[in-house]
Amino acid sequence: MLTVAQLPAGQLAARLAGAGLTLQTGAFVTRLQSTIPSVVRGVALMYADYPLGPDDGYADFHLRMVRPLNWRRWLRPQVQLLADGLAPFKPLPLAQAYPMFEWGLNWCISSRAHSYLMLHAAVVEKHGRAAILPAPPGSGKSTLCAALVHHGWRLLSDELTMVRLEDGLIAPMPRPISLKNGSIELMRAALPTALFSPPVHDTNKGTVAHLRAPADSIVRLDEAARPAWIVFPRYEAGAAVELQPVAKARAHLRTAENAFNYSVLAARGFDAMAALIEQSDCYDFRYSSLADGIATFERLAAPP
Amino acid sequence: MTPLLIEALRTPAALAAFTPAQCDLVLRQAERAQLLPSLHARARDAGVLERLPAPARRQLEWARQQGERHLQAVRWEVRQIRMAMAGLGVPLILLKGGAYAMAGLAAAEGRIFSDIDILVPRAALADVESALMLHGWAGVGHDDYDQHYYRRWMHELPPMRHVWRETVIDVHHAILPSTAAAHPDAMLLRAAAEPLPGYPASGSLPAVYTLGPVDMILHSATHLLYESEFDHGLRNLVDIDRLLHEFSPLPGFWVRLTDRAAALQLQRPLFYALRHAARLLHTPVPAALLQGNDVARPGPVVLALMDALLDRALLPEHDSCDGPLSKLARQMLYLRGNWLRMPPWLLARHLFHKALLTPLQAARTRDV
Amino acid sequence: MAISWRLCPGQQLRRRQWDGECVLYNDLSGDTHLIGADALELLLALHAGPADTDNLGRHLRSAGMAADDAEVATMLEDLERLALVEAVC
Repeated sequence: MLTVAQLPAGQLAARLAGAGLTLQTGAFVTRLQSTIPSVVRGVALMYADYPLGPDDGYADFHLRMVRPLNWRRWLRPQVQLLADGLAPFKPLPLAQAYPMFEWGLNWCISSRAHSYLMLHAAVVEKHGRAAILPAPPGSGKSTLCAALVHHGWRLLSDELTMVRLEDGLIAPMPRPISLKNGSIELMRAALPTALFSPPVHDTNKGTVAHLRAPADSIVRLDEAARPAWIVFPRYEAGAAVELQPVAKARAHLRTAENAFNYSVLAARGFDAMAALIEQSDCYDFRYSSLADGIATFERLAAPP
Repeated sequence: MTPLLIEALRTPAALAAFTPAQCDLVLRQAERAQLLPSLHARARDAGVLERLPAPARRQLEWARQQGERHLQAVRWEVRQIRMAMAGLGVPLILLKGGAYAMAGLAAAEGRIFSDIDILVPRAALADVESALMLHGWAGVGHDDYDQHYYRRWMHELPPMRHVWRETVIDVHHAILPSTAAAHPDAMLLRAAAEPLPGYPASGSLPAVYTLGPVDMILHSATHLLYESEFDHGLRNLVDIDRLLHEFSPLPGFWVRLTDRAAALQLQRPLFYALRHAARLLHTPVPAALLQGNDVARPGPVVLALMDALLDRALLPEHDSCDGPLSKLARQMLYLRGNWLRMPPWLLARHLFHKALLTPLQAARTRDV
Repeated sequence: MAISWRLCPGQQLRRRQWDGECVLYNDLSGDTHLIGADALELLLALHAGPADTDNLGRHLRSAGMAADDAEVATMLEDLERLALVEAVC
């Protein structure tokens, strides 16, 4: 299967400008259309290793990034996300076009893919076992996730943990890892050879940049993983590192609060969550340095 | 060229032969028409689900889950409404989607809707409104004009949204406003309402009813032809098609349908509904009803115009189905719907106010 | 006079228990509840069949859960609000 990087010169931009570029994004096929230069560049850089989707005219999600035709077009240019022609969000400043694609795709998947229990959580894997990091704001989960996947853990996802309803395994959805504000510089310093998208300022999350997913995680995007841990991270400057078990019934409810479609799945969602909790050791994790984070996860994953 | 979604609705078995590209398009058309869960039900009933490409089948599965959850939410909402109306001595008559869902009709399968509609006697409106407010429903953000307009002219209270469930209830006292040309007597509708099995009056809880089968169809036809929003036009037509499939086998059905349409002054909307269900969805309708009598059938010029408008407006509102005149057709039908619901002088004042006065009022409050 | 209670029709008491705590799925509302051992015991008793407040109180006490009649009544009212149980007329 051809990857994006293997497309002949000019083909990427041509497809994006025309009938669309189809990408294999985890278990789904996404079709993207855009002539916005930052989107074309962002895709070329961040999705270089991704397989192209099949050529049969079918896609699960259809996204188009356009510049809306309004009076702002020249004064303050904007970008609009269209999901099969409908705009689910208000336009954003044009500079935010590439992040908007990432947020938009997350939104499309998390609002529709109801054959999965979808959690707002990062998920990484080592030795065949997956650690899920549910993500309320301020948890630092993306930074922690970025660090872990460059220290021996495979990236399954940094935003959308996809728990398969039929067997409880985690389906990989490796995508560029989104970083904010201070953690961008932090990770740049920590990972001098990693590839980052240009930072975008003044978004409603602050400054945002994306870190390319490790090539290995994309090569292995068909390899599901068994869940083993649910770790609720909380970054606290200067705090001593602490890993505290969480009672399972509480973990069930807290993880449900971090789920996109727990309620939509009704009884199946309850059963899937209960099965997930049953097979996972659940912890609250407080940390103040990435080194602590890496070391703690290393101990968790150590063979018994 | 017939849109793929229409082909699939006419003959669900045809889905088995769709290419991946055709599956892609029909799913998108269905999503836009809010018929994706319905399409799942039709494919399942035709036994073709297993023959679809796996990704397409998976998308239909996603939609099925949404439909199932929606049904659970409707049942819960009806329960809450019933408890709110306890002790009022007013029966709870469900209309439209809520009725189809609670009665387990084919029309309910996969149908997702946002509001629960109920019918109460006009004299009970104030009590019902108070009871709902006591139980957490509140008027949705309308300005004074809207509130006044609704209460004076409309056949329903302004929509009420529940403060924390965020569900919406529409309380009707009739199915058309008193300003409309036709006057279907709400008393007749209430008198023919059928009790919902399993929901008799219990203690202070009211019994739950739906309209009789023929009245349900007439209401759906009225809604299609009189109400404004043609973004749900196809879904509304599919309701009518499903209701007809469900009830037409009943003995004497077609005679009762025409007689009742005459009694309720709804012959014209029924004519259009049957005509377009037959044309677009190939619903089996007896030739005599398609022909219509002098009251039901409009003159040839009006008929040709309405055909042109409805043929376009009832297609899915999707790029693949819209022609250059589709948007105009929907707008004209919107105006017609308003026209039919109120006399010209009121329409002008309503549209004028909506277009100009309301934004000025909004600006005024902002400055304060 | 003791009120008679039953499980709301449709409630299947889909639940999981870990270390003395229980999460319960509410088939009617779609909510998930965290409930204590005594409330669960009440629900399981009603799952077997309708019962009145006095009987339920006795059942709880015989299961080693201290509960006077007022507490049992309050618990039942809470469960009624959640549409897990209902009073039978």
